[in-house]
Amino acid sequence: MFIRATASTHVQQNLPANGAAVSVRNINVSYDGKPVLRSVSLEVMPGQSVGIIGPNGAGKSTLLKAMLGLTRMDCGEVRIFGETIDRARHRVAYVPQTELVDWDFPVTAFDVVLMGRCGRHGWLGRPNREDREAARAALEQVGMSRYADRHIRRLSGGQQQRVFLARALCQEADVLLLDEPFAGVDAATEQAIFGLIDNLARSGRTLMVVNHDLSVLNRFDAVLMLNQRVIAFGPTHEVVTDENLRLTYGGRLSMLERADAALRKDRIHDDPDVARSV
Amino acid sequence: MRRFGRIGFTMILTLLVQFDWQWSQWWRPFAPDALWWHGALCSALVGIACGLLGCFVVLRRMALIGDALSHAVLPGVVIAFLITESTSIGGIFLGALISGLIAALLINLVSRYSRTKEDSAIGIVFTAMFALGIVLVSQLPRGTHFDLTHFLWGEPLAVTPTDLMAMAIVTTIVVLFVIVLFHPLRLVSFDPVVAAAMGLPVTLFHYLLMGLLSATVVTGIKTTGVILVVAMVITPASAAYQLTDRFWKMLVLSAVFGAFSALGGISLAFISNSPTGPAMVVVASLIFLLAMLLSPTHGVVFDLVRRYRLRRHIAAEDVLKAIYHHNQDATAQPRIEELAQRVRMTPKRTIAFLEWLRAHGLIERLDGWFRLTRAGERRAVEMVRSHRLWESYLSERAKLDVDEVHEHAERLEHAHELADELDASLGHPRHDPHGEEIPRPKEGEGAS
Repeated sequence: MFIRATASTHVQQNLPANGAAVSVRNINVSYDGKPVLRSVSLEVMPGQSVGIIGPNGAGKSTLLKAMLGLTRMDCGEVRIFGETIDRARHRVAYVPQTELVDWDFPVTAFDVVLMGRCGRHGWLGRPNREDREAARAALEQVGMSRYADRHIRRLSGGQQQRVFLARALCQEADVLLLDEPFAGVDAATEQAIFGLIDNLARSGRTLMVVNHDLSVLNRFDAVLMLNQRVIAFGPTHEVVTDENLRLTYGGRLSMLERADAALRKDRIHDDPDVARSV
Repeated sequence: MRRFGRIGFTMILTLLVQFDWQWSQWWRPFAPDALWWHGALCSALVGIACGLLGCFVVLRRMALIGDALSHAVLPGVVIAFLITESTSIGGIFLGALISGLIAALLINLVSRYSRTKEDSAIGIVFTAMFALGIVLVSQLPRGTHFDLTHFLWGEPLAVTPTDLMAMAIVTTIVVLFVIVLFHPLRLVSFDPVVAAAMGLPVTLFHYLLMGLLSATVVTGIKTTGVILVVAMVITPASAAYQLTDRFWKMLVLSAVFGAFSALGGISLAFISNSPTGPAMVVVASLIFLLAMLLSPTHGVVFDLVRRYRLRRHIAAEDVLKAIYHHNQDATAQPRIEELAQRVRMTPKRTIAFLEWLRAHGLIERLDGWFRLTRAGERRAVEMVRSHRLWESYLSERAKLDVDEVHEHAERLEHAHELADELDASLGHPRHDPHGEEIPRPKEGEGAS
């Protein structure tokens, strides 16, 4: 495995760039003096897909926002391909949680996807023919071509999620940060999104996916278990253990979830390669 | 109901007659009167600029900020007046701009660095600045003339050619701003977080918008006054928002509505001898009311019509099915009352629906009673099938009690376009949970 989980205290400062797509060193974030992330460090290699799990308030979304420079960090640094986020923005695409979206905003699915091209033109540019082609191709990739001219309010939850994914796709970024892309989607969309994630990872893209559903962890190469600090980070079948889940979710993990997790762990142990190639 | 309508109509008529109508002025808009045209043109420009910026204000839910800015420009205007000792547009303009931006900044600071939420922060800041402005006006040295009434209520006929020039410049800037920055502005308004993640200067856009809004509002004050200028910002944009699902169409419509409200208002003011600003707002509000009622997609009227049609469709199908069952039942009397009882309607209503069904060729008269036509029978069988399939679905898949399924199926059966799908997913059952046979569409007829 290409993933290194490092406890923050052992991180050697000024580590030379070693080909990591994303490297996060010793990030600390707090809101109103209350710590949300403590000494989070991790490195993700190109072509890896990482599932991020943790209870509510564990700082999963905050981690993504901090990586994008959208949240003030108390300390720590983020490197994307060895560069600061401001210099590497064009290589990163972000899909935020959709619950804050204004669904009455007068835009169609195609309009939303086309917005993905805004970043590369700066603020005086206008999308050209190439951008429109890219947007159309991205819609095609998520199977939404038929709905290009439909207002976003008139799409189902899964379709809405796919449109936002298509926007990230047409940014043609190397690193994709997805915040709960599976929230409120149907089984078909979930499969479609996983197919997409697999394809992207295979073509060398790096993905970090915040995720609530423990039952799909085996679809990721690696799992980051987060509860303000890094509980565990590494290849899925190594880190998804009872002990780690208990540490991540504290006493709040219900018997049911634990049972689920235990059962799934068996499946992963049975044959990790089969599980991943589904 | 009808009587109240007549009384209301009479009252409105009496009221309108008592207005101070100046019918001799009706030709005024067409007369070559420079003063009137200056006012009208300036108002139309204000309407366009307000309409365009209003779209962003409405979509970003900043209506209160629009109101706040219009009031908060007062101290800036007064201070500019004090310094330049004139009401020259340049000074007042700069004063308003600075004042408006300070207000936007203060609102941001108060809501960020205290427990106060943004709406209260807006309320605190704009009233504070407006009050400060009024105190400053009262402290103006004797002999200076600053007409607060104009500031509050506006007077488009007092615009000078310089004002007109200023307004033309502001409107041009606003139009260019919206056209050139259309794509980034749309992204920033729709999804500021992703815009920031892409590296767009979201904060800069916000203050740019605030600055332009302050500039537009201060020129708008000349025509509608402080108190009502916010209507020119949010009302045309809200009307446009009702009518379209495309952002650029909303911008165009809003600008047109803004200009029309301004011109319509100034004409109305002349004819009815009323103040201009309020007349413009009345016209804008009427446009909004019409848009709200008549919008084909979001309008109240069409929504009611759709709902009425659906209800009628359901009731008619119920009556059709009732006749079908009634005629199959050998003991049933061919009487309207008995039929009415089956469908739980009054006999009068039942007759009305029978007429409707007859007009649509689903039933026909036979020996003083009704018989289903071929089309009617097909439809009725379809209903029965749909009903029984839904019953099967509800008891099998939704695990409802067999005794409960009938009531639910009564409603669901009207969605009979889903019947085939339902049939397939249930594995083509022959009988419903009550043991009744589920009819199959006959060969050759199902396709028609």
